[in-house]
Amino acid sequence: MLRYELKKVFGRAGGRIALAILAALLVGASILAVRSVPWVNEAGVEERGFAAIRRLRAAQREWAGPLDEAKLRAVIAENARIAATPEAQSEDWRVSNIAYGWRQGFEPIRELLNCAFAEGFRSFDACRADRLTPDDAPDFYPNRVRLLKDWLAEEGAELFSQPEKDFLIARYEALEAPMEYDYALGWTRLFRYLPTIQMIALLVLGYLVAGIFAGEFQQRADAVLFSSKLGRSRAVRAKVGAGIAIVTLVYWALVGLFTAIVLLCFGADGARCPVQASFEGWKCFYGITNLQKYGLIALGGYLGGLVILLAAMWVSAKARSTALAAMVPFALLFAPSLLLNLSSASVDKVVGLMPYALLDMDTTLSAFNYLYRLAGRVVPSAPLLFALYGALALALPPLLYRTYRRADLT
Amino acid sequence: MELKLENLTKRFRETAAVDGVSCALTEGVYGLLGVNGAGKTTLMRMLCTLLRPTSGAISWNGRDIFALDAEYRAILGYLPQDFGFYPEFSVDDYLGYVASIKGLRPAAARARSGELLRALGLEKYRGRKMRKLSGGMRRRVGIAQAMLNDPRILVLDEPTAGLDPGERIRFRNLISELAGERIVLLSTHIVSDVACIANQILLMKDGRILLRGAPEELTRALPEKVWRCQVGRAELERCLREYRVSNVRTTPGGAELRVLAPEQPLPGAVPEEATLEDVFLHYFGEKGDGEDAAL
Repeated sequence: MLRYELKKVFGRAGGRIALAILAALLVGASILAVRSVPWVNEAGVEERGFAAIRRLRAAQREWAGPLDEAKLRAVIAENARIAATPEAQSEDWRVSNIAYGWRQGFEPIRELLNCAFAEGFRSFDACRADRLTPDDAPDFYPNRVRLLKDWLAEEGAELFSQPEKDFLIARYEALEAPMEYDYALGWTRLFRYLPTIQMIALLVLGYLVAGIFAGEFQQRADAVLFSSKLGRSRAVRAKVGAGIAIVTLVYWALVGLFTAIVLLCFGADGARCPVQASFEGWKCFYGITNLQKYGLIALGGYLGGLVILLAAMWVSAKARSTALAAMVPFALLFAPSLLLNLSSASVDKVVGLMPYALLDMDTTLSAFNYLYRLAGRVVPSAPLLFALYGALALALPPLLYRTYRRADLT
Repeated sequence: MELKLENLTKRFRETAAVDGVSCALTEGVYGLLGVNGAGKTTLMRMLCTLLRPTSGAISWNGRDIFALDAEYRAILGYLPQDFGFYPEFSVDDYLGYVASIKGLRPAAARARSGELLRALGLEKYRGRKMRKLSGGMRRRVGIAQAMLNDPRILVLDEPTAGLDPGERIRFRNLISELAGERIVLLSTHIVSDVACIANQILLMKDGRILLRGAPEELTRALPEKVWRCQVGRAELERCLREYRVSNVRTTPGGAELRVLAPEQPLPGAVPEEATLEDVFLHYFGEKGDGEDAAL
């Protein structure tokens, strides 16, 4: 039965076109990811592609290891030495690019220095590291906490309750120093591109599953289905199973293939480094590694997508309309954008618990405004989202089954 | 083997599509005859558990069919009036799928499909996509799917709609062959479809069973007589207006009419033996003269 349900979906030209779109998405995103990283050669000229990635990886891996005071001193000193060269001070960007090329090996650490020694928690100065001396190195970790505390005391004072401030500070103080540092471009590329892939995949999957239930009515095949022995039991379970199987197989195939391509091209180094050891994760208050963050993004996208698509299938079963069902993912993905325009703290908190937050897990993990009070404790959104949508993912299939099996023809 | 309908009513808001129908069906072919909108399809959908009655009950061998649920549907075969299919499926795929939802094991399903496709002359089309089949072929596939589980109750709703005369004849013969030890309920508004094959006719009008009996009983009990008369061209229009005419055949001098009337309508009119078509005309009158009058 399941085989026939899958055949109904993929036998249509529309089903095959949807798969072709996803394949094109995979190829396009992979090319973009590979081409997104430049290597500046000795002549100051940018190179892109596999060879560029290989050189950059080799250069950055030389700085791998604990990001302790000694390493920070060495980076600051080396950066200062390069900054003093005529190439670095040149007005000609081609010449100054040569100096940038010398910094590429420790550029991620230099970016962390820019963050740690910024004027304020929310400001950023791309040249701040150039004005540091090796003696500033011991302030690297304390500064991260100090900047947060200052911000919470001034600009952010009205935005958070005292328990929320205490929670954020405690999370910042819990970061283990020195952090383990490594080249982690493979992971950061995944974090950048996966949410877009997940959202496009969701819309395409919405189109694929929207007809599983409504299609029987639209093709007038419902009478034979529901008058058959198993038409209101196993046949309905097969439909629910087909929907879940399509979402699961297509999603994990797409995410798995993209992950494999990116990690094969960039390498999987830095998997066990904390996310704070890269510019993108510096402010994150979750104590997780790159590998764990990847797991949360991939699993969050699946769970959020599954719940949204189960909701779409329920609409398909209830309203008997493929078009209406296919609109559900659009509505649930774009509603948060409209709501966020309202600029209200309470609306933000609602948005933080919408399925969109699971699909944009990279943003969710760095969002300070998605904090909730639960049994007197401050809880960030990520665990709440997984608990809430995990429960919904378990509750929706039986509801879908009951809705469809009771369908009376009119 | 008894399918019993007791005071069965189905209302859609204020309209009673089926209104207090009671009857018992045992082995045999039943022709459910009535114009469009008489309530035939609603009655059949209730028999197939697709609609719940507003009141009344349907029982199979004394047990409520809705309580029997899958057990009842296991002995049911249904060809809906609006027979839908999956356009991308081949005939084999379609029958395989229906066999699976009917609970047939794959090996048994393959054997039964082959048997039915041979009987229905579709064997060489088994690999063809459903959307590429002609209307007649699709209907035959529809019969095949209804027969897959060798049902004790076979419900066919307007099975000959859209078929050409040749296909209709083939279909009638097929139903006679398939009848066997089962209840076949065949709804139609085309009298000739059931006249030769039905053991019993149920005449349905405005949601009620107006008359029930064997075709010869119904024709015998017709309250009017049937007359054949010859009229000139000048009289033809008047006759058509004044009498119930079941057939007009143009002749060189005018027309030969088949008229339903209690007494001799015109001088020279000779009595004829009544047919089921005359019964239909008597009970459905002008309504039967509209788009449904494909007698």
